[in-house]
Amino acid sequence: MSILEVSGLKKIYTTRFGGNHVEALKNVNFSVEQGEYVAIMGESGSGKTTLLNILAALDRPTSGTVLLDGRDLTKIKESDVSAFRRDHLGFVFQEFNLLDTFSLEDNIFLPLVLAGKPHREMQKRLEPVAAQLGIADILKKYPYEVSGGQKQRAAVARALITNPRLVLADEPTGALDSKATDELLRLLGKINKTGQTILLVTHSLKAASHAGRILFIKDGEVFHQLYRGNNTNEQLYQKISDTLTLLATGGERQ
Amino acid sequence: MKASFYPKFAWDGIRKNNRLYVPYILTCTGMVTMYYIIVSLSASPLINSLRGGPNIITMLDLGSWVILIFALIFLFYTNSFLSRRRTKEFGLYNILGMGKRNIARILFWETLIASGIALIAGNGAGIVLSKLAELGLVNIMKEEVSYTLSVSGFALGRSTGLFATIFFLIFLNTLRRIRSASPVELLHSESLGEKPPKTNWFFGALGAVLLGAAYYIAVSIDDPLAALNWFFAAVVMVVIGSYLLFIAGSVVFCRLLQKKKKYYYKPNHFVSVSSMVYRMKRNGAGLASICILATMVLVMISSTASLYFGTEDSLMNRYPRQINLSTNMLYPESLGGHNLPALRAEFLRIAAAEGAVMESITDYRLASVVGVLENNAIEVDLTKLDKNGPNAKSNIYKVDQLRTFTNIYQIYIMPLEDYNRIMGTNETLAADECLIYTAKEKYAHDMLAINGGSTFKIKKHLATFFSSGDTVMNIISPMHIVVPNLDAAIKGISDLTDSHGNKLVALRWNYSFDTQLDEENQIALNAKLHEAVKEFNNNGEYGIDSYSVDSRAANRGDFYGTYGGLFFLGVLLSMVFIFAAVLIIYYKQISEGYEDRARFDIMQKVGMTKKEIRKNINSQLLTIFFLPLVGAGLHLTFAFPIIRRLLLLFALNDVALFAIATVICFLVFALFYTLVYRITSNAYYAIVSGAKET
Repeated sequence: MSILEVSGLKKIYTTRFGGNHVEALKNVNFSVEQGEYVAIMGESGSGKTTLLNILAALDRPTSGTVLLDGRDLTKIKESDVSAFRRDHLGFVFQEFNLLDTFSLEDNIFLPLVLAGKPHREMQKRLEPVAAQLGIADILKKYPYEVSGGQKQRAAVARALITNPRLVLADEPTGALDSKATDELLRLLGKINKTGQTILLVTHSLKAASHAGRILFIKDGEVFHQLYRGNNTNEQLYQKISDTLTLLATGGERQ
Repeated sequence: MKASFYPKFAWDGIRKNNRLYVPYILTCTGMVTMYYIIVSLSASPLINSLRGGPNIITMLDLGSWVILIFALIFLFYTNSFLSRRRTKEFGLYNILGMGKRNIARILFWETLIASGIALIAGNGAGIVLSKLAELGLVNIMKEEVSYTLSVSGFALGRSTGLFATIFFLIFLNTLRRIRSASPVELLHSESLGEKPPKTNWFFGALGAVLLGAAYYIAVSIDDPLAALNWFFAAVVMVVIGSYLLFIAGSVVFCRLLQKKKKYYYKPNHFVSVSSMVYRMKRNGAGLASICILATMVLVMISSTASLYFGTEDSLMNRYPRQINLSTNMLYPESLGGHNLPALRAEFLRIAAAEGAVMESITDYRLASVVGVLENNAIEVDLTKLDKNGPNAKSNIYKVDQLRTFTNIYQIYIMPLEDYNRIMGTNETLAADECLIYTAKEKYAHDMLAINGGSTFKIKKHLATFFSSGDTVMNIISPMHIVVPNLDAAIKGISDLTDSHGNKLVALRWNYSFDTQLDEENQIALNAKLHEAVKEFNNNGEYGIDSYSVDSRAANRGDFYGTYGGLFFLGVLLSMVFIFAAVLIIYYKQISEGYEDRARFDIMQKVGMTKKEIRKNINSQLLTIFFLPLVGAGLHLTFAFPIIRRLLLLFALNDVALFAIATVICFLVFALFYTLVYRITSNAYYAIVSGAKET
């Protein structure tokens, strides 16, 4: 069963002065199945960020639909959007976006507190997530006291603690060193194995090579997609690299 | 590098950072102005020559110290914000090849320019504003108080010297920061996460204790003399206590809330409480300053306003009748014999010649002496109690020495005959009996001995006593004793003298009355009577030592001069203080808006609705804004009794008037404050919601 269905998505930006129209998304169609790990790749300006913002309900498309569990995101009332986002989506950002006024633990609790969950339940949910991400013993620390990798793992924990239908990760490895990157990708893979659906937006080959399926976006359209099949990460890496070369040198559509 | 490079570079630095520097320089300027005005007024010989002037000067002096301490804390605090923003810029210079020595030189020039502007503009504004203040005062008082316009060299020197020192200390502090940091640290300092504030139980508790003690002092003291004594201590305790409570106590309080998990992990508490910890850490000093400023403003305005509007009341208390005569006699005999009848007859003749009919004549004799009560005996020879020995050339009778005694009374001994006449009573006393009245606390013994004089049994404690002009202005608590025979009662003590040869016991005859004359004629009659008493005085037979002949009408102008002047000063200083408070709060919140922007952006991404964010911002801003106001209200409530005691020194005894003035001042201030809150919160919303556009 598909968890996310995107069809005919179009986004046109109108600049404030002069009325110039910029078409960020032309016609995007794809779907994500329950338990999938999908990476979306594309160069800067390809429309990646616009797509992610629409998927996150932070922005509305000019036309087209986004169905999450059969519910149209684009039709949700403005006042309910935040609550919907909080209850159904988990976010991981490039800059972690942890609040420096909270300890890691409180940062992870934030969405649950906003949802009005009792403290005992929060604590119960936190334990397995923290253990899985290896941050159980730094929960009382503040963001400024821990490394980038640890911060990002706390951010992942914050995304997972609401048991979201879909985790959206925007360049999660962008601000990490290679060791922390490897560790985070390994963890995301592990989390996916437990059945969590993940949508990853990146232009890092390495990050994409951990996914089960890779969508390539170019000029506001899904240009191509790759399935992992039986490939190892290394083989997939090579395939992605080939595809990107093809895209960059203007190869024909397959 | 060329020497001229530095000033130019420094000037550019100030210009480019004008959004940060302008408020800072404005703040410095405001502080210098404030300080100059207060010091110049307190050093003004004209104010000193006013009736009650020394009291104003004491207040102004205290105010100048409060402002100086306030300026020191506040400028350091404002500057720390400024320099935190600037550190990044210096980090870049450092990486681009500028040594720390060069940076220090630039900083030096920046400090020099900024403090130069602040000192020149501040003192300039101070001179103009103090001139304006004086002009306004002359205008308000019509011709009674004439202020010449002048530049106070003393104030100029003091404000320049002290503030230059403060600016230099700030410069050293910035230098220390820059020196100890590496270039990369400098570059990233701004984005460096802030450490969570430490919980300091000790200082939090100390603040609470100090404040509690100060409140206790203010409430428990009922003697004006003691009030004067403790007032300054209480003020200092309140200032320190407020700072500690706002800085440490607020953090402790938030931490306690965070420990209560059931309370803390609720949508509307979670974000507010955790952000408040940081806000209080950054704003604690500022909020405490605002709280103290607000209290000062309110105390000043309400007390001076009630003094001014209660002038008639004070005048009535001080001069119970239209014409008030009082003579001090050299010998006890002068109060008897044919002396007083002769004086009365002459007064009556003069009044009749002026066409006046005397009404409500108050006519009594009394002996007045300062004494210390020990058990049931009064010691009037204070030199005996002097620590420096009985015969030392002591100044024991000066007010600041008298303050050191706790059980001190101004004792008025009055003959029964006079008491019965005035009160219309028919009391009788045996030769060894007396009536007694004390204002402070009921006299606890059934005997009263005057050391070296007579001993009496207390026949009756009087519930009230008539108020005479004498007792109103006295800072020492009065004790009235009514005796059957005045001469007998003071026999042993009437010849005692202090180390300067002045008699300890004053023998007084008071004679006061109303007429149907208009004010002008009252003054004329008063002048005639004055002449007459002068004649009697010159004629040594009557044994008059000194005398006063005062008409209420003639003193009215003088009273209005003093109280109107005080009121004017109060208004002036309040305006300056309010300006400072507004500047602090506006500047702080605006600059914090930029920091909070990112935070609220994240919260929105994590699933906080816009409505929740708005609610949150609102509650935090409200707390930040109204905490000082609530603090000021509390301070004011507890200061009320002690200030009331102090107002007694100005012969103002109208509690209702003072209460109403206080309440009105508080309401007006709160209204004004709410207005500033609205403006600030709008600007703050604009900044925080601008996050989406980036």
